[in-house]
Amino acid sequence: MPQMLESPRGNCVLGGINAVLAAVGRLCPILHSGPGCCMQITAGEVLQSGGKIPYFLSGVSIPSTNMLEREVVFGGEQKLRDEIQGCLDIIDADAYFILNGCTSAIIGDDIKNIAEDFRKKNYPVYPIETPGFAGDSFLGYEAAFKAFTDYIVKESKIKQKNLVNLIGIMPYHEPFWEGNIEELTRILNALGLEVNSFFGYGQSIKNIEKSGAAALNIIVNPWLLKGTQKTYLEKFNVPSIRFSSTPIGATDTSNFIRKIGKTLNIDKNLVEKVIEENEKYVYYFYEQAIGKLSWKKFAVVGDANSTIGLTKFLANDYSFTPVVSIVTDSLYHQSDKDEIEKEIKNLEYIKPPKIIFESDYYNIIEELKKHDITLLLGSANEIEFAMEKGIQFLELTFPMTERLVFNRCIAGYKGSLTLIEDVYDNL
Amino acid sequence: MAEEYKIREQRPYTYADGCGKSKDMECRFRERKMETMDRTFAQGLQCQEINSIGSLLSLEDSVFIIHSPQGCIGCSVTSVDRYRVGQAHRGKKVYRSPRIIVSNLDQNDIIMGGEKKLVQSILAARDRYNPKVIFIFASCASGIIADDIDGIAAKMQKDMEAIIVPIHCEGFKSKICASGFDAAFRAISKYILKDEKNPKEEGLVNLFAPTTVSYKDQLEMERMLSLLGLRANYVPFFSSLEKMRKMTVAQVSTSICKVFADEFMQELKDKYDIPFSHTVMPVGLRNTDSWFLGIAKIVGKEKEALKIIEQEHKRIQPEIDKIKSRLEGKRVFVCGGTGRSFAAALLIEDFGMKLVGLETPVYDGDAQDDIQYLNKIYGDFIVDIANMQPFEQVNIVKRLKPDLFIGVPHWSARLGIPTTHILEGKRPTMGYDGILYLGNKIADQMENPGFNKKLSKYARLPYKESWYKEDPFKYIKKVQS
Repeated sequence: MPQMLESPRGNCVLGGINAVLAAVGRLCPILHSGPGCCMQITAGEVLQSGGKIPYFLSGVSIPSTNMLEREVVFGGEQKLRDEIQGCLDIIDADAYFILNGCTSAIIGDDIKNIAEDFRKKNYPVYPIETPGFAGDSFLGYEAAFKAFTDYIVKESKIKQKNLVNLIGIMPYHEPFWEGNIEELTRILNALGLEVNSFFGYGQSIKNIEKSGAAALNIIVNPWLLKGTQKTYLEKFNVPSIRFSSTPIGATDTSNFIRKIGKTLNIDKNLVEKVIEENEKYVYYFYEQAIGKLSWKKFAVVGDANSTIGLTKFLANDYSFTPVVSIVTDSLYHQSDKDEIEKEIKNLEYIKPPKIIFESDYYNIIEELKKHDITLLLGSANEIEFAMEKGIQFLELTFPMTERLVFNRCIAGYKGSLTLIEDVYDNL
Repeated sequence: MAEEYKIREQRPYTYADGCGKSKDMECRFRERKMETMDRTFAQGLQCQEINSIGSLLSLEDSVFIIHSPQGCIGCSVTSVDRYRVGQAHRGKKVYRSPRIIVSNLDQNDIIMGGEKKLVQSILAARDRYNPKVIFIFASCASGIIADDIDGIAAKMQKDMEAIIVPIHCEGFKSKICASGFDAAFRAISKYILKDEKNPKEEGLVNLFAPTTVSYKDQLEMERMLSLLGLRANYVPFFSSLEKMRKMTVAQVSTSICKVFADEFMQELKDKYDIPFSHTVMPVGLRNTDSWFLGIAKIVGKEKEALKIIEQEHKRIQPEIDKIKSRLEGKRVFVCGGTGRSFAAALLIEDFGMKLVGLETPVYDGDAQDDIQYLNKIYGDFIVDIANMQPFEQVNIVKRLKPDLFIGVPHWSARLGIPTTHILEGKRPTMGYDGILYLGNKIADQMENPGFNKKLSKYARLPYKESWYKEDPFKYIKKVQS
């Protein structure tokens, strides 16, 4: 069960849902909630991810019933119906999703029934019933996917052999999501695959709709979307392959390619050719910075995906010494923790770091204090500690408030180059 | 005893929704014919909890507990940012972050009550940081399930050195986010000041500042006060328990924003006999003059102030004239919070610009004072009483086609219109030098509109084309009582 948290990383369920809808684009959230939720869920999630503001609807442009005392006492269903009608009249969206704020969920307004009334009139209005207080943005991310598989994804008996869904990289919660998705898509394209990534430039609800015709789900995350994985298999007959982290650098990315190649029976020669070309490219640059970065004893603090990926890359490919890796997702299943631990411990040469699961700011800092490190990869939350200690710090994980990120990536081959550029400093 | 309103809607003649022409509105307000309206379709609002938290987060010796699910601390990030950047500007080597704990109410707590988690949070605040003050902020969820935050605070206070201050800022209680400022000050009065009377300190001014005031602006305000022989007790932004306690020994109070601490300054007058000046935000010549004169009058230094004002005008008028020659006659649409929107509307007068539309979150007696003046200098213009509502804004802006938009630029920029903002919490915008900073910024941005123009070819707004042909105010309806 969720416990009190100091400086939590992320928002409530609605923050996660809003991030997903924003990343797809042209999807209209309708908040059935108190005033303020529009700003809180935007500032608390998408705006702490490298400074971008979603282009479609965010913050005070999100339609909202702004429930006040009167609605709390007498119910807000009529207000919601008016609000939805207004949205349909003026917002040019592909679909409309009703989000259930604390206020409406506690008083028990029936958003499911109301959405159904509009759907009977052929309007694409869908409820996401999981209320704000049910959990954190990770749960919101999953709730949004559930809404997609419940209402948007189309069943397709015929599968398109070269079509894959790339999911698991949580938009905004991984600040480099857009660039990382771009880089992994570039790599998958090179294998002759067409990619539905749902999120980012050039993607839309159409990609979600046709995801039921994909040959494979590529899930890049150690623990999220297990329900979605099951639904895709049972309802849409789309199997999944799961990677425990965003692949960063040559070693992990080449493994990623080989595993997908094998699963989809892609021509081995093509697979090896793609790998060779990309590895050559990476080492062409690495070769020109030999000795440029001194030895680092590093700590990583961040979401599971990033923490695993960063630890493995810097330890395996860059020969830095991992000291402690702190996974900040609130995890409630021991099996998820075991999986993550196994993955971080699986290093090629060096002794694995200490692995900690902790979401609370104070406890994270107390843990960091115990270690002798020279490089800290973390979020805006750790900057104060790094300043106090006078150690090198790089802001790479959520919340990220001190840098602007468009399509910069740290994943794959190209991302590993950018990352090393960022790790370098001359002090 | 000051008249106490729990939320701003309870103040007489205060309206949070409405629209019309400014002259008609002035007339309707004067004749008490304004009606309470609501929108049948609306975009989101800022809640009062955001304001309560934001106004206090920079208090250095405190811990802040938000008694809510994880979402209700989202907006604290903007105040955290201003606090951190503010430290950088004040020359700090290490930027401290505020200590914020969310009690993290969940499904279970909604049914069973979340008081246990609040108690845990208070104990953690003490054990971790041994603070002087522990603030507890209520939320929609904690309010509806009726967790007794006052009772818990009182009970735990018995064994606690830190002062526990519960604040009733439940979001659903008010549509006017500035109510959250009042809630915060009301709690400070009750739990920190406690009616303790101490001897006054000659020359000490309570200078109330919200988090949107830059360090440069603070220095400018302090400089101006020093010209009157006054020194500032700068609160609550970048202050401490000690400075808050000092509020009761000040000689006089004033605020940098007219919607900030206005109720509280009245209370300080009634309880501690501290007179106050409630004027306007010192942005632009007229506003800076009246802000400065306001405080000078109370301390009996009107003559000195007038002399200083004359000198300052003489000093900057040539520079203002240069800016005016670049901006004269340009048509402007203004959108902002209540303080800033009226400040901007008055600022552009200095540069000979013309107001064609104004969005303000609230219309009340203070607004009426400003509107009367604005009507005299600009003639009729459109007024939208709205806390943003971007769908109305883009509709109106598209119709009015102003030469410049002042306010949050996200939407109008996409229309290709030059945009700028006078709310810059990290830059100098106030006092006499602030006029020059803002004027030059406005002129440069107007003369060099390339970014927005090129952007507008590709940028998208989320509305149907048909919306721009509709009456922008079609969703504003009279409330049926």
